[in-house]
Amino acid sequence: MSPLVEMIDIEKHFGGIKAVDRVSLDLREGEVVGVLGHNGAGKSCLMRILSGAMAPSAGTIRVGGAEANIDSPHAARGLGIETIYQTLALADHLDAPANLFLGRELRTRWGNLDERRMLEEARKVLARLNPNFRNLGDPVSRLSGGQRQVIAIARAIYFDVKILIMDEPTAALGPAETAMVSELIRQLKQEGIGIFLVSHDMHDVFELCDRVVVMNRGRKVGSHSVSEVSKDDVLSLIIKGELPGGWVPREAERVQ
Amino acid sequence: MSAAAGSAYATGGMGQSNAETLHKLSALATLGILIGIFAFGNAAFLSVNNGLTVLLQTSVIGLLGIGMTMVIITGGIDLSVGAVLALSGTATGLMVKAGVPVPLAMAGGVGVGALCGLINGLVVTKLRITPFVATLGMMMIARGTALQLTGAAPVSRLGEAFGRLGNGALFRIVEQQPNGLSKVAFPGIPYPAILLLVVALMAAFLLKRRPLGRHIYATGSNEEAARLSGVNVNRTKIAAYVMSGALAGLAGNVLMSRLVTAQPNEGVMYELDAIAAAVIGGASLMGGVGTISGTMIGAFIIGVLRNGLNMAGVSAFIQQIIIGFVVIAAVFVDQLRSRR
Ligand SMILES: Nc1ncnc2c1ncn2[C@@H]1O[C@H](COP(=O)(O)OP(=O)(O)OP(=O)(O)O)[C@@H](O)[C@H]1O
Ligand SMILES: [Mg+2]
Repeated sequence: MSPLVEMIDIEKHFGGIKAVDRVSLDLREGEVVGVLGHNGAGKSCLMRILSGAMAPSAGTIRVGGAEANIDSPHAARGLGIETIYQTLALADHLDAPANLFLGRELRTRWGNLDERRMLEEARKVLARLNPNFRNLGDPVSRLSGGQRQVIAIARAIYFDVKILIMDEPTAALGPAETAMVSELIRQLKQEGIGIFLVSHDMHDVFELCDRVVVMNRGRKVGSHSVSEVSKDDVLSLIIKGELPGGWVPREAERVQ
Repeated sequence: MSAAAGSAYATGGMGQSNAETLHKLSALATLGILIGIFAFGNAAFLSVNNGLTVLLQTSVIGLLGIGMTMVIITGGIDLSVGAVLALSGTATGLMVKAGVPVPLAMAGGVGVGALCGLINGLVVTKLRITPFVATLGMMMIARGTALQLTGAAPVSRLGEAFGRLGNGALFRIVEQQPNGLSKVAFPGIPYPAILLLVVALMAAFLLKRRPLGRHIYATGSNEEAARLSGVNVNRTKIAAYVMSGALAGLAGNVLMSRLVTAQPNEGVMYELDAIAAAVIGGASLMGGVGTISGTMIGAFIIGVLRNGLNMAGVSAFIQQIIIGFVVIAAVFVDQLRSRR
C-alpha cells in the first residue's frame, strides 16, 4: 500500500540560506513520526510546506500515491491534511468557536452563520481535550497560552483528518493537558491517522513515535525506528548531525 | 440553551467584550449629553424639523462610515470615499443629462463607485500596495476624473426626478389651507434617513451573521491566521473595498440628488469624517475591531455637533477644532479602558 504522504526532494531557499535542503520523508497510516532538530533546523518550514502555508522552492509531494498540488492551506485541508501551527494561528478578537470553525463555518439553510451549532460542537470537542474549558464566549486573546493551544488542537482534529501535523503542540500545556494530548495521539493513531510530531521533548517522542526523523541545518540526517536508537544517539544526530562513532542498530545489537 | 450558549450567541462569535459594550454606552451617553446641552441652549434644536435635518445631514457621513468601518475592520483604510462620492454623483448626473432614466443612472453611479472599490481592492491585494497609498491614489484619480468629465463645472437642471431621492420623504403630510396654499404639516421621514437605516441593518447583519463578515473580522484580527485557516483573505479584502466604494457611490447620489446638481467638487475631506465616525464608534485602525452600531453613533455625534454648533452660531473653523478634540478624546478613553 502506498504511504499516506511522500515528500520527495523538498527544498526551500530564503535568499542564500537553505532552510530545507533536499529532504525526502514519508508517513504511513497509523504511523507517528517524530521530527526533531535544533532551533532553526528547518522543521517548521518542512511542515508548513506540507500544510500549504509555504511554497517549496523545489520538490514533489504525493498524497495517497497521487501527486498533489498543495498551493494553499485550503488545498491541504481538502486532502485531509490538518495542522497545528507552532504559532497557533488564532484570530485574537474572535472567540473559541469562531476560531475553531474559521474558514469552515457551519451555516444555516440560508447560508448564515450557525452560531448555536458551532458553539455546541466547540464545547464537545474542547471538552475532549480539557473538560474544564470555559470562556467559550471570550475573545481568545484573553485566554491562557494553554487554552489557546487547546483550541488550535481542537481545530485540527474536529474535521475529517487523515494526516495531522503537530508543530510543538504541547509547548504551552500543563502536565494534565500534555497527558491528554498524548492520549489523543494514541487514539488518532488507532484510527489510522498519520501524524508528524515536531517536538523538542525527547521523552514524549520516544513514548509516542514509531520513527524519528532528525533534521540538521535544513538536511535530513537520520530516519530511524525508535527501537533501534537511544536518546543519546538522537541527541548526537541533532547536535552533530551524525550518529555517535561505532553506532550499530540497537536491535541488531541484540541479535548479535 | 444554557447561559453560556446564550451569551456567545448574542455576541455572534465576536467574543464581544464588556469593554466594547462600555465604549458604545459611553459614546451613546456622549451623544445624549450633546443633545441635552444643545436643547438647553436652543429649544428649536429639539424640534421635529431640526431632528430631520440632522438625520438628513448625517445620512451621507453615515453611509460612508459604514463602508469605511468594513474596510477598517479588515485592517485597511479607504481614503478615496470622498472623491468616489463626487465621481459617482457626477457620473449619475451626466447619465441623466444624456437621457438615461434616473433609477438606471443612479444604479450606474453606484456601479462606478463599486468599480473604484474593486480597483482599490485589487491594488491592495494583487499589487500589494498598502491601503493608505492605494486609496490615496484612487482619491486623486477619482477626483481628477470627476473634474475632467465635467470641466470642473456643476451639472445642473437635472429635473425633478433626480432630486427625489435626496429631497423626498415618506409619510409627508401636506395640508390644504383655507387660503388655497398648501402647508407641510409633517415633513415626513427623509428617504436618505430610511436608506441609511436599511443599509446599516444590512451591513450589521453581514458583519455578525454572514461568513463574509466573520472573515472580515478574522482578516483584520490576524491576517496570517485567517489565511492558514483557509480564509480567502484577498477576496475578503476586495469585498470590503467594493462595498465601501459602492456605498460612497450611493452617498454621492444622495448628496447630489439633494442639491439637484452634480458637483464634481463635493465631498472633499468627507473620508476624514467617515474615519472619525468609525473611530469615535470604537473601530480600531489596527483592524479586527469595529461595529456598525458604533459607527452610527459616531456619525450622529459628528452630525449633532455640527448642527448644534451651527445653530449656536459657532463658526465652521471652531467646529472643526472641536470635532478634532472629540476624535482624540474618544480614542484616548478607549485606550484607557483597554490598558487596564
Ligand atoms: N519566512 C522566512 N523568511 C526567511 N527565513 C525564514 C523564514 N522562515 C524560516 N526561515 C529560516 O529558515 C530556517 C528554518 O526555520 P524553521 O522555522 O523551519 O526552524 P525550526 O526547525 O522549526 O526551529 P524551531 O525549533 O526554533 O521551531 C531558519 O534559519 C529561519 O531563520
Ligand atoms: Mg519550528
